[in-house]
Amino acid sequence: MGVSYQAIGWNRQKKQYDWLIFGFCCIYLSTFILVTAIFNPEYTFETVLIRSTSTLALLILHVILCIGPLSRINRKFLSLLYNRRHLGVTMFVLAATHGIFSIIHFHALSNVNPLVSLFTSNVNYNSAGGFPFQALGFFALVIFFLMAITSHDFWLHNLSPKTWKTLHMFVYGAYFLVLMHVMLGAIQYERHPAFVLLIALGAAAVLTLHLVAGTREVKKDNSLFDPAVNGFVSVCDVNEIEDNRAKIFCVNSERIAVYRFGDTLYAIHNVCKHQGGPLGEGKIIDGCITCPWHGYQYLPNNGQSPPPFKERVSTYDVRIEGNRVWLNPSPFPEGSERPGTVISQPSN
Amino acid sequence: MNNEFYIGWMPKAPQGFARHVKRVLLTILPVVLLTGAMLAWLQKRFSTASFEFGKLTEVTGVYFKDPVPMLRVNAGNDIWGNTSYISIPLVGYGKHGANGIIREIEIEHKTSLDHKQVILKGTLLYTDGRTIMQVSSNEIASVKIVPGRTAETATVQKDLGFRKVKGEIIDPKCYFGVMKPGEGKVHRDCAIRCILGGIPPMMHVWNDKGESNYYILVSSTGIDINKAVQDYVAEPVELEARLVQYGDWTLMYVADMKNIRPISSLQLFRPASTIIACGTGCTQ
Ligand code: HEM
Ligand code: FES
Repeated sequence: MGVSYQAIGWNRQKKQYDWLIFGFCCIYLSTFILVTAIFNPEYTFETVLIRSTSTLALLILHVILCIGPLSRINRKFLSLLYNRRHLGVTMFVLAATHGIFSIIHFHALSNVNPLVSLFTSNVNYNSAGGFPFQALGFFALVIFFLMAITSHDFWLHNLSPKTWKTLHMFVYGAYFLVLMHVMLGAIQYERHPAFVLLIALGAAAVLTLHLVAGTREVKKDNSLFDPAVNGFVSVCDVNEIEDNRAKIFCVNSERIAVYRFGDTLYAIHNVCKHQGGPLGEGKIIDGCITCPWHGYQYLPNNGQSPPPFKERVSTYDVRIEGNRVWLNPSPFPEGSERPGTVISQPSN
Repeated sequence: MNNEFYIGWMPKAPQGFARHVKRVLLTILPVVLLTGAMLAWLQKRFSTASFEFGKLTEVTGVYFKDPVPMLRVNAGNDIWGNTSYISIPLVGYGKHGANGIIREIEIEHKTSLDHKQVILKGTLLYTDGRTIMQVSSNEIASVKIVPGRTAETATVQKDLGFRKVKGEIIDPKCYFGVMKPGEGKVHRDCAIRCILGGIPPMMHVWNDKGESNYYILVSSTGIDINKAVQDYVAEPVELEARLVQYGDWTLMYVADMKNIRPISSLQLFRPASTIIACGTGCTQ
């Protein structure tokens, strides 16, 4: 293989991505501050800082939550997914600026510790309109903090991908907390209906995209196969699989990717060891199945990442009879060598 | 099938992907601009209250500890030739009332300030024709106390009877200009903090002409009013209490916390509701 295994630095794409994030943040913040200064000249610096950072963080949070389902619906969004964690860290930095500044602004220089004040000043925990909304923001910020500090792949390996993924699923909980933080906070103060409308629009977009992407996958997963013969199910025609590409089949609730590499078919588990990306939507590059999400690679014949990497996925047996591809859904242990099956006649 | 394949660790994205990203970015840009501008534009207008941050003013007046720490300042003669006064309630630094700083001054100068003529330096805050002053420990040394001269005249008081008013309990320090907004839900925790820190709570009332008035809340039973109002701060309330005109301010003697009742904010904004408040005029 012609790939050398250096640690991935900040390559050109990453740099572009980061500059774009930075540029967009600057544009947003300066627009917000300028418009406030022009139309609301009695503003104070503290308030404009608190509000510009919070609203930008929420805007970025929406982008983060939408990129996932968008890239399932249209693969071209994958290029935004790849460095999504940079967006996440940026969002955290903005939310932390907002949160910490709010704590100082509203709670410091008082007769108790600011963090104590955060939970004991307003104690109307049993009222909706009076609810201490700042506490909700605090817990959301704690979640974002945990996600931001574990965003590096180092933590992914240390925590195991499963724990990591679970931790990062909390982003939905945090999103909900932030929505309530805003609904029970700023929305109780600002009377213009546009604020509620915007929040509703954002939530509706996130929800709809997830539903659309989800139902598509469920539909794919529920496609039925004829009963197995000697453990093998007939899945598709040989011609349906392009060279260096795969088709994904969900048999007995397991997603399996059947790849064609030259004149041989191989089958491996569809779930990438990195963050669960769909390996069957990847491509064979330099002889390796390459995950579409972040480019982890696996050898088609044994599901192992080429050394020095250690990731392994399960492999499966495939057979060809006539023009039909038959797949055995019982997995071999992760990293097991399987010979695959050779397409004997030219298939076209 | 489009055979382009995107891998993030490659230095360049395939053309199709790059084009798509460009389109997405060009869509996001106006969205970002519009959202930022709209949110900023639609914010409630900030008040014109003013906190003279960093500017010290020297004020000469008679200090009264009760009903709340304030300085009564001679404002010259009115049109009938009577001496008129304005009273400037005092607050401390940060989210603290004036009691702490006054005690420090008294210890430093080894005398009580109550009813004495003093010269105090502090930072002024004002809104709607009312002024309060922040005194901080940096100014202790510059305090001058005229020995022995107590106030010649007591502050004029007039019982205005029991009244029911609708409005919002505020901490005057923030409302008078330290924070914007210094009221309402977003500022609630801070207002509670200030009031628990000893800043005298005030009832802010206003009418549909936009005129505002501020009543200083005091307890008529000796309970700690600052602590007692904690749950009612920064939200619409109706409050029934005896109003007493006290110089140029109005005091509200709260007898029982049962007389404070949260109300819906709609009740504050309904145009035809009973007079929520009168401007300064009706307390005469
Ligand atoms: C320690 C954590 C936090 C505290 C103490 C806090 C406090 C506050 C306060 C006091 C306000 C009202 C400010 C005003 O309008 O004058 C506010 C509003 C808001 N917060 Fe937070 N917040 C925290 C965390 C967060 C987080 C993590 C987010 C997520 C993005 C967030 C998003 C917002 C938004 C969008 C608003 C409405 C816009 C605004 O008024 O600033 N907050 N927050
Ligand atoms: S999920 Fe990240 S590389 Fe596969």
